Amino acid sequence: MKTRLQHLSLNISHLDPRLIRLVLIILSLALFALGAGAPTSGGELGG
Amino acid sequence: MVLIAAVFTGLLAGSLRAWINKRRLFLPELKLIWVVPVAYLPQLISFQFPITRKMIPDSWAAIALVGSQILLLAFAWSNRRAPGFWMLGLGLALNLLVISLNGGMMPISPDTVAHLALKVPSGTWQVGSRLGTTKDIILATEDTRFWWLSDCLFLAILNHPIAFSIGDLFIGSGIIYFLWTLGRKP
Repeated sequence: MKTRLQHLSLNISHLDPRLIRLVLIILSLALFALGAGAPTSGGELGG
Repeated sequence: MVLIAAVFTGLLAGSLRAWINKRRLFLPELKLIWVVPVAYLPQLISFQFPITRKMIPDSWAAIALVGSQILLLAFAWSNRRAPGFWMLGLGLALNLLVISLNGGMMPISPDTVAHLALKVPSGTWQVGSRLGTTKDIILATEDTRFWWLSDCLFLAILNHPIAFSIGDLFIGSGIIYFLWTLGRKP
């Protein structure tokens, strides 16, 4: 009988590798933007 | 958040380009991609999480910011042959330069803060101190090294004022350009 973890890993292995790569690219760019950039908006100040 | 908008804009543009040209998105393999979340973690703790960002002293937050950006620079450098990454790297390097030369935070002038924080009483911030829990430190222009690389540019989008740097412009442009090229022929 398969455990939940095995089911989960099977489900992930069935995901399209291209979709995974696209998600990784988008996430890494978004985190890069948040970390590398320093724009400041009025909203962050409660203004 | 304005740079996150650049990610969505670039993704939309690249997807449209691929769709018009009847191609699938070209997805290059980025090197050292695991470095990005690792590098961002100190900033997440120092500037984003509401509980931790109030607990961390400004001096530690400054170290976290500079250390984090050095790691991100390594990511940009290792992918320098990917389209647009020279812009990402240059923008980050410019931000890192002005941040490092001004005590580890991005300088912002009192005038710009006054424009940003129209609804915040002027007594709630002072020159020489960090601007809330942001990455910025309020410094007079004459006391700022390389002030022209600081958050000296100003824009109001849909009545939301935003201050940003030349480095931010390069980063946003690099992101949009990179994602636009995903719609090209492999």
